[in-house]
Amino acid sequence: MTNTYILNATWAPTGEKCDICLGPGKSSSFEKLGGLRTCDAEIQPAGSMSAPDGARRIDATGKLVMPALFDLHAKVEVPGRSKRESVSRTGQAAAQGGVWGMLVIPTRGFMFDNYATLDSFNDAVTQRSATEMLPAGTISLGAQGAQQAPYNTLSARGVNILTDGDRVPDNLLMLHRAMKYAAELNLTFAIRGDVPALTANTYMHPGSTSYALGLHGTPACAEEIGIETLLRLAEDTGARLHIQTVSTAEGVESIRRAKARGQAVTAEVALHHLLYTHENVGDYDTTFKVTPPLRERSDCEALLAGVKDGTIDCIVTDHTPCTPFDKKQDFISAPQGMTALDTFLPALYTHLVKPGKLSWAELVQACCVAPLSIAEPQDSESDTDASVPLLLFDPEPEYTVTPDHIVCGTMNNPQIGTTLCGSVTLPLQ
Amino acid sequence: MNPRKDLLTIGSLSTEEINTILDSATAMKDIFTKSVKKVPALKGKSVLTLFYEPSTRTRSSFEVAAHRLSADVTTFTVSTSSVVKGESVHDTIDTLMSMKMDYIIVRHKHSGIPAVIARHCKAAVINAGDGAHAHPSQAFLDAFTIREKYGEVAGRRVVIIGDILHSRVARSTSCILKRLGAEVAYMGPGPLVPLQKHTGIPRFTNWDQIFEWRPDVIYLLRVQNERMDAPFFPAGDYHQAFGVTEERLERIDDLNLSIMHPGPVNRGVEICDAAMDYRNTLINDQVENGIAARMSILYHLTPQTQNND
Repeated sequence: MTNTYILNATWAPTGEKCDICLGPGKSSSFEKLGGLRTCDAEIQPAGSMSAPDGARRIDATGKLVMPALFDLHAKVEVPGRSKRESVSRTGQAAAQGGVWGMLVIPTRGFMFDNYATLDSFNDAVTQRSATEMLPAGTISLGAQGAQQAPYNTLSARGVNILTDGDRVPDNLLMLHRAMKYAAELNLTFAIRGDVPALTANTYMHPGSTSYALGLHGTPACAEEIGIETLLRLAEDTGARLHIQTVSTAEGVESIRRAKARGQAVTAEVALHHLLYTHENVGDYDTTFKVTPPLRERSDCEALLAGVKDGTIDCIVTDHTPCTPFDKKQDFISAPQGMTALDTFLPALYTHLVKPGKLSWAELVQACCVAPLSIAEPQDSESDTDASVPLLLFDPEPEYTVTPDHIVCGTMNNPQIGTTLCGSVTLPLQ
Repeated sequence: MNPRKDLLTIGSLSTEEINTILDSATAMKDIFTKSVKKVPALKGKSVLTLFYEPSTRTRSSFEVAAHRLSADVTTFTVSTSSVVKGESVHDTIDTLMSMKMDYIIVRHKHSGIPAVIARHCKAAVINAGDGAHAHPSQAFLDAFTIREKYGEVAGRRVVIIGDILHSRVARSTSCILKRLGAEVAYMGPGPLVPLQKHTGIPRFTNWDQIFEWRPDVIYLLRVQNERMDAPFFPAGDYHQAFGVTEERLERIDDLNLSIMHPGPVNRGVEICDAAMDYRNTLINDQVENGIAARMSILYHLTPQTQNND
């Protein structure tokens, strides 16, 4: 066996010292991680592995090895750049942030409501990106909320998840029929809890900051009502439901109740909703303009508690590139969204794992095992023998994030200018 | 004190600066009674009024103020400009900066636009009202009017009545009055008055509570139908529930309270006809003082456009 080497590192999900044998044809399966398979690597307790002939030994003491992350919510389109360039830059940014695969949310540039767009996107990914990119189909044509997309066609091209991206369908009749139809195809509906009529022309969480800035507030109850509506629709139609970017304590509570009564629903939270509050908007800082908006500290805490008790299945980036010009506009005109792929794992580590708010096992569950099982359900037709690469994480380096760190192509990342810890090696070989 | 380039909000000013501007407004007002109503303070300076929202009062008040300081005034009319052709605010500003303006007075329906402009140009930027955010020159003329009437602002009680949610006047005027030691309360229809925990200002819901609180000044706001995307309250109710009716005017008269309003007034909605002619109605004083306050603001600011010639 050639090109093999052995790392002595710490297996992040358990904290045990281990040896890893890297090389083609190697793989491990982890019961504790939902049967997750890793590729090109075999993990054994430290000292128990006999090195193959010719293997190089590398001392990785103090570093962690773990499954690379899967992001269930990323947008690939970089405004103003070619689609191919967008794919390649986003792939690089993901690898730097410890992400090996992602669900690509439809955007205006990548409107996955037809096979031609899916094919050309998949070609671009094959040619340009080392990062796995699974497109999510749209619920409605053009994500306009009026007419259903061709779900059979999308499903035949490997689509497992449907979402209209930032737009929440306000036509419940269309959605109810779509869910009934798509339930037969085992497609998952990924939708944010929202009542568009309540949140139109609102720009941030209602509170002291929105009052001081004279910006209309987005009522938290819109999310709760939206989630309850989606839960009832899914229950009635038998469709799979994944609640996107929960931002409120009430939203977490709705999902907790649904899970307690046995409803099969999954949910995600964006990293920024765990870290920031509406006060971060400060004096109209457009970097912090996101949909749904940043809420109160008590919401951040409820969301994190939801991640820890499994109410919220995944932590996602909600990576949304915006050009510097877009974000230089006034708060009302500027587009929503921030980027997070470039700094994802270091930010998770610095803000959640290092201060003891989240364990490595919880992180691997929420950022790898759970999102992967939602993106590629066991019973889905496209379920190939997918296996997850490992990454090496060095928690030591401490650095200030500068624009030079950002490779995704846009600078609307709130970590710029802050201090982060940790660096990622991905791929390992 | 560092020279100040822009006036964007009251909150960004020190109390010392607020008092300086109010003091020099008194001196400016003295000019109005002279036979030559003009001083050369801003001679040779160019002032641009850039109003993205319709306005007659504020715009002409600023223009008169600039003229009385001997500045050259240019009016940028949005309806005939390329803004209607989709030009971004940034590109408009680049164009205007190439014209070497010293002062830009801007009004926009979006909160935060004057700050964006101020960041990107050397001219002194005066916020003449942005969305529901701030209207600092209105705050100065209100504080000036109360000071003129009562000798000082400190210790006075002012209740602001009406559509607080959409009102930049409520935000800026309450801010300056509190900074100067007055007490402020809000009253209006439930959906239009933000919670006290968000504003730090007591919230009343009816006139009985107001009379019990014993304010000195009743400050009425205009119901801004143009800012409401959908009705916030039953339209027919307003005058009876929240307006100064003739009945309430009698009570106001008994208690010797003053009435203020930033204009334009909706007669029969927030205020009855009789109240317009009431002896303690200060609405016309506000208009006159607006010019003095705006002269003082222009005089106080220092554009970064000057060379040391």
